Amino acid sequence: MSVNEVKIKRAEIPFELRGTGPPTSRTFVLGDEDHTLGNALRHVLIQDPRVNFAGYCVPHPSEPVVHLRVQTNATATSGGVSGRKNHGRSGRNEEDDDDSDEEEIVGGLTEEGSTSFTAIDALKDACRTLSQQCEYVLEQLEVAMPEVRVDRERLKRLEEDMFLEKEKPGEMDEEELMEDMEE
Amino acid sequence: MPQQRFPKVEILNIAPHFIQFILSETDTSMANALRRIMIAEVPTLAIDLVEYAENSSVLNDEYIAHRLGLIPIRYTPEGSLKGGDCHAAFLPHRECVCFDRCVRCSVEFELDVNFDKVNSTRPDQERDLALTVTSRNLTSNNMLVAPAHFLNEEEQDESHDEGISIVKLGPGQHLKLKAIARMGISKEHAKWCPVAVATYRFWPIITINQEACNMLTLEQKQELVDACPDRILELDEITGNLVAVENAYEMATFTEDLKVAQNAMKKRPEDDDFVRVVQSTDRFVFSVESTGAMDAEEILMSALRVLKDRLNYLAAEVEKLKD
Repeated sequence: MSVNEVKIKRAEIPFELRGTGPPTSRTFVLGDEDHTLGNALRHVLIQDPRVNFAGYCVPHPSEPVVHLRVQTNATATSGGVSGRKNHGRSGRNEEDDDDSDEEEIVGGLTEEGSTSFTAIDALKDACRTLSQQCEYVLEQLEVAMPEVRVDRERLKRLEEDMFLEKEKPGEMDEEELMEDMEE
Repeated sequence: MPQQRFPKVEILNIAPHFIQFILSETDTSMANALRRIMIAEVPTLAIDLVEYAENSSVLNDEYIAHRLGLIPIRYTPEGSLKGGDCHAAFLPHRECVCFDRCVRCSVEFELDVNFDKVNSTRPDQERDLALTVTSRNLTSNNMLVAPAHFLNEEEQDESHDEGISIVKLGPGQHLKLKAIARMGISKEHAKWCPVAVATYRFWPIITINQEACNMLTLEQKQELVDACPDRILELDEITGNLVAVENAYEMATFTEDLKVAQNAMKKRPEDDDFVRVVQSTDRFVFSVESTGAMDAEEILMSALRVLKDRLNYLAAEVEKLKD
């Protein structure tokens, strides 16, 4: 190795989960990330009606760390209309009414564990949604410019040749997903 | 996810080095993410290491190395003429398993210019004048990779240069070096930035209240047209109505001048506005200008791929979590 090789400084924690208590509220610590991903994910999370609270911050501009806080509605997946609200901070970012003082217990209790919509589920969903949106835009660009499709296929063949050992997340899976959604 | 909106793309203007398109049905966060990635995280090739055999020119080694680093390096995949995405063809050098460098992670350029040797071959009127060493003198060991000497055909025709000038040599001076180009992103050093400009502006929503405008005289309407420094309004010749200009999106900068002019004209302050210009919250006009290392649409596609890969990586990490 050359004498003057530059080592890039990575963040200390590449990925961490923080938070105790019910699995519907968690803070994700993302290393080597910045506003690019943080803001985009936060926006997609807010759009999801099952999410009560989503916010991100960059604790210090000198460090490439993003904290992403997600709090979901505990009753989401079970399909119940109402139920116990989250303790503590609640309410969407965009709405101004603060009803954290209310704790309604209407209807039946939710089933904890596998059927409730956890914070981790919310983040997974958000990542997938945003990824699908990117894929969609890529497809549109290909339609707009036919020579791009030829290049992309060549790129795909090159990628497959170069990385035979590694397992690549197939673009085909997302294409099939896209076709299903469009139908 | 329920209620998901899918972004739409409409291309307005395209050239090898420039693309202008409309991104709609998405939020500023996605538009900004795309812009940030195009500027900072699209991988390109640039000269990273320079090994000198001989340098008797007027510029010192690191100065020339700095200049060499800033030269845009173009990768054209086989069979294509476009400046393409290099991230599939090369490995980042820190991840490559080779000892020092190899064909898979780097490209070697050689430059050997000796003033005295070249001088004898030059035509008489140019003899003994300073010799410009340009990017044309760089010879690559990889057929698909070469420096981008000019931005486009037009610049090549108009320019008096033969390429990007590196240094000028005089009699008795000799420059011999080997330059190694590697893949990197702009976050590490600006030489890897593929764009000269990547910006987006908001689409202007211009609503003209025709009934209220009918109460204005022609001079007043002309006053409104003149009030706006961007000139996004004009008077229709036949009907005399106020109408928005065709390419208002290119010029609108959302100043307060129109508002101020209208307030002066209104009979009562609570009256409706005659013309309202508002920024759209989900429609953006992007302008991307490349440096020549990649074609503009390739930069856009590469940015989308980078974003997608990041998200997939994050989703995989989240998947591995056991709560």
